[in-house]
Amino acid sequence: MFSTKIMMPMVEVKEETRDITFKIFRYNPQIDAQPFFDDFNIPVEKGITVLRALNYIKENIEPRLSYRAFCQAGICGSCAMKINGVTKLACTTQVWDELENCAEENVLLIEPVSNLHVLKDMVVDMDMVVDKIEKYFGWVSTKMPENQFGKKEFNIPEEEFKLYDAATDCILCASCISECTMTKANKDYITPAVLLKTYRMESDSRDSISDKRMDTLVEKNGVWDCTHCYRCMEYCVKHIPIMDSIHHLREKAIETRGKTDTAGAKHADAFVKDIQSKGRLVESLLPIRTNGLMWTVRNMLPMAFKLTKKGKTPPPPFLMKPIPGIKSLRDLLADLKNRNQTTHNGKGGSK
Amino acid sequence: MKTFAYFMSCINESMTKELDKALDQWEKDFDLKFIKLHDGTCCGGSNLDYVDPKEFLVINARNIALAEKENLDLVTSCNTCLLSLRRAKQELDSSEENKTFVNSILKKQNLEYTGKSEVKHLLWVLNEDLGLDAIKAKVKTPLKDYKIAPFYGCHILRPSSLMGKDDPSNPKSLDQLVDVLGAKTVDYKSNNECCGFHTLLVAEDASLNIAADALENAIETDADFIVTPCPLCHTVLDSYQQKALKKRNVKDSIPVLHLSQLVGLALGYTQKQLGINRHIVSLSK
Repeated sequence: MFSTKIMMPMVEVKEETRDITFKIFRYNPQIDAQPFFDDFNIPVEKGITVLRALNYIKENIEPRLSYRAFCQAGICGSCAMKINGVTKLACTTQVWDELENCAEENVLLIEPVSNLHVLKDMVVDMDMVVDKIEKYFGWVSTKMPENQFGKKEFNIPEEEFKLYDAATDCILCASCISECTMTKANKDYITPAVLLKTYRMESDSRDSISDKRMDTLVEKNGVWDCTHCYRCMEYCVKHIPIMDSIHHLREKAIETRGKTDTAGAKHADAFVKDIQSKGRLVESLLPIRTNGLMWTVRNMLPMAFKLTKKGKTPPPPFLMKPIPGIKSLRDLLADLKNRNQTTHNGKGGSK
Repeated sequence: MKTFAYFMSCINESMTKELDKALDQWEKDFDLKFIKLHDGTCCGGSNLDYVDPKEFLVINARNIALAEKENLDLVTSCNTCLLSLRRAKQELDSSEENKTFVNSILKKQNLEYTGKSEVKHLLWVLNEDLGLDAIKAKVKTPLKDYKIAPFYGCHILRPSSLMGKDDPSNPKSLDQLVDVLGAKTVDYKSNNECCGFHTLLVAEDASLNIAADALENAIETDADFIVTPCPLCHTVLDSYQQKALKKRNVKDSIPVLHLSQLVGLALGYTQKQLGINRHIVSLSK
């Protein structure tokens, strides 16, 4: 436990100052058997960011305190950390704004981002992210022969750039990775940041490796494993609509690339077919249509007995009546199919 | 009497019929009327929006237009239906082009989407349209013997740009309702986490991991049961509970109630009347 009453030197002290405790995660795997928390009590003026407060602690109280911070302006993404349990950039988060989120009055909880290996205190190992960018071909591979480089311009129309304008705002801070439900459950999962990067490259007309990128993307741990929790989008420090990008990758996998022989694509297709046939989802068939009969028998039979006992088994299709207006619904869907008008503008990753 | 159009979620017509059964029991107690839209379709289940974005837009415009035809706001008790309907509404209300397109199709069905009907969750209707004081005044059997773990689920909170009610990092609405029903809530970190439902058939192991995290976390608080405003979360947390906890060698279990059942209990209805006996994990008290 460290405590000091030294005023912060970087600003003139005014009346709007409070004593605030920073409860900070500490862990040096080379020395510490277990992570622990240190409390640093310092007076903080209104207007001070969490990063400046950490800098003060490091410069004046605990020089061993480790965290990354470079631009101090919300651009480089290096200072992402959990502040009161939510992943944010320390350099753009005001200490006083955080006081209302404290579980304990005037005590700010500072922890490293989740789902990445801690190297020391708030410093995490980003290699996992780099490895996944590599695995999913997170770059544009041009069709242009190397001997033409520098001789011809790539012209990107404005309309195309709009498709991935917001996606290019990503600063790889790992906030979305820290908040991602699926990454927490499965460390091999692609992660939202890499999905976003993949979307950005997929939307680029200069690219020529969509086939192999998509092949990898639809495999296990890829685009179909996202559980639609919207945490990535909610906590993105750049407000990028990451879920829209994931949806567009799925749409492209099915519609453009015809990659329909995956559990995810079959599962999604069931919704289209059932709306056409009944107006409603035929839940009893969903496991079979997604994973086949053998998987369903092996994985769901014991649970099916329990559900049946409680009267919770979904009705078989022959016992499911279509909605009363099924005929007019089918007319509507046929009408829709006959039209070529485009209402969907494919704006995943654009604001 | 406050009247709403009620969106019939697919899962409430099959695996979680007890949710609507409980609602049917007590709506009259609050002078509420939920008119079921039997002609509504599946909302697309957070899948149709990328498989066929145009169809997603048109069928949900149709769903909302059915409520508009009755001059009523549309209420759903499923988080994912809420997401689909509100997402479609946002895409329609923010684009005349989209609205004109769907209306050119709906016209042949004698329907029109205007945007006048709001899309709400049952929890919001209880907390806002009815009001916590009005609910408190009707409580016959305060749930004072219960400690409850509220589990909000994702799509009633996120994206907050579309939902805009609770702070997704620190939601309160369900806790407030539990409070006026006389029960105590427990503070636990999984209350705003995901249940894993949407990947159960695609990435089962990971989904069960997600569910197990929430369940274990709730069990550790010594709560008597979990309450959730979403039938999809209920399905994972109740029907898949044993499977999820078995992977962690956790022997304990925890019952999971629907929001409608919780309200029903406080109004004095029996577990049987509320369909609580249909759950896989029994509520003992």
